[in-house]
Amino acid sequence: MAPAAAHHLVSTAPDPAIRRHRDRRAPLAALVAAGAAVCLAAGTGVRRGRSRPARPPPSFHPGCADDCPSATAAPPPASTPQGPPTRVRVPRIGVDSTLTVLGLDRTGVLIPPTDFDKAGWYGGGPAPGDTGPAVIAGHLDSQRGPAVFARLGELRPGDRVEVWRGGQRVSFRVTGSLRTRKDRFPTAVVYGPTPGAELRLVTCGGDFDQRRGHYRDNVVVFAVTEPAGPLLPDSAAG
Amino acid sequence: MHMLRTVPRRLLAGAGALLLSTALAAAGTPAPASAAAGADTVGYVRLAHLSPDTPEVDVYLAAPDAAKPKVFHGVGYGVVSDYLELTPGRYAVAMRQAGAPASDPPVLTTEVAVTSGEAYTVAGVGRHADLGLRVLNDDLSAPTQGRAKVRVVQASVRTPVLDVAAADGPKIADGVQFATTTEYQQVEPGNWRLRLAGAGGPSTDAEVRLAGGAVYSLLVLDAKQGGLTAELRRDAQGGTVVPAGGVDTGAGGTAGTGFGAYPLIAGGLAAAAVAVGLLLWHRRRRTTW
Repeated sequence: MAPAAAHHLVSTAPDPAIRRHRDRRAPLAALVAAGAAVCLAAGTGVRRGRSRPARPPPSFHPGCADDCPSATAAPPPASTPQGPPTRVRVPRIGVDSTLTVLGLDRTGVLIPPTDFDKAGWYGGGPAPGDTGPAVIAGHLDSQRGPAVFARLGELRPGDRVEVWRGGQRVSFRVTGSLRTRKDRFPTAVVYGPTPGAELRLVTCGGDFDQRRGHYRDNVVVFAVTEPAGPLLPDSAAG
Repeated sequence: MHMLRTVPRRLLAGAGALLLSTALAAAGTPAPASAAAGADTVGYVRLAHLSPDTPEVDVYLAAPDAAKPKVFHGVGYGVVSDYLELTPGRYAVAMRQAGAPASDPPVLTTEVAVTSGEAYTVAGVGRHADLGLRVLNDDLSAPTQGRAKVRVVQASVRTPVLDVAAADGPKIADGVQFATTTEYQQVEPGNWRLRLAGAGGPSTDAEVRLAGGAVYSLLVLDAKQGGLTAELRRDAQGGTVVPAGGVDTGAGGTAGTGFGAYPLIAGGLAAAAVAVGLLLWHRRRRTTW
């Protein structure tokens, strides 16, 4: 705090150099205005280059500061959810959508949902709650305005995502996000094997390519489930 | 008059430089980072006790800036924990005799540097006399073409040099030494009967079912009742058919004026600033003249 406060004092205190040379005021005004323009221009780079804010301090699972789940103290594992996911809810950004099932086109590319107000689950991959990276995609916008995942970029680590399978709810915790050019899509990071049940929410971002009629970037939000069973199983030595 | 000529020239030069830098900043707007490594999510760490003659231990896992470490009590031989999802950073691992107070100096310590998306097994390995803590890198990347990946974690002293091969199938490990781990091998998914055998020690068979897109470790242990035992652990699971590239999820309705508008606005602002500067300067000259 101290350095910031000191900097503030310095910048607001009347500069003796400015008061003495009053005839410099005009170029100074131009300098400030031009500087603002430079910042605006440079801001595009900053904004696009870093899509994520600083991560929160490292934390363990809630309620696990001292003694952690072991073979004796673990809650009973929840019954495994069955069937395809039917609904996704993201309270922080006001998303509550039923889910369609998405497939691939002939070139192997994921086909987005036909309904701009509905998200879809990639049915060729793991289902949310099963081990592996489940993928749910939704539109950022239609031609008229915002669509189901318009505010996906606002999600931050710690935010909750809920997915229903049948009557069962699977809860996920956001761990991070990335923005990437579609032509450099990090397939291994998004679709690669995971130790637990994880979730990726995918939408568009970046600049809109008027010629192609598509956005250039994808925004991917990463989430994990908390482990349900014991972390330390019994010894396999028998 | 000399002043009048030099000052505007200096001013114009300055304004020109500013305009140029603005134009450069606008034109040089970098393409978005590929961000493959920028997914600052979680790394995975699990703990394993792989020393046959070492009694149960308490394992402490401490984040760099956490007040209290995570404690796993009474971890015995053959226990491999589930992966913990951890924020990237350097974690300290300490091992104490089971029941020893946390204030006691640990028997063993090590450090694991957790990178986003990477997985590690921190294992107590070797005989009790020369017990060590080893950090194994677990390569959870997807096997190709819907196959499965499997490796052998050799924690048996009864058969200290071990071969593992599938009946009528591929060889998975050849002469793997006690307290070592093989690289992951790709195999076809399905049911396999594995033969575990080595010179001068007991042997055993293991029936395993390997799913496509999954990554496994075959844990080989000295069984409590004598002989060898093997347990297949699924390290990670992915899909077998992975979509190519990204997905087109937007029609541009909220895209504003589209690409190129931003540099134009910035450039326009810069030009306006120069004009205002010149205007103000001229006005000042006039009032003092």
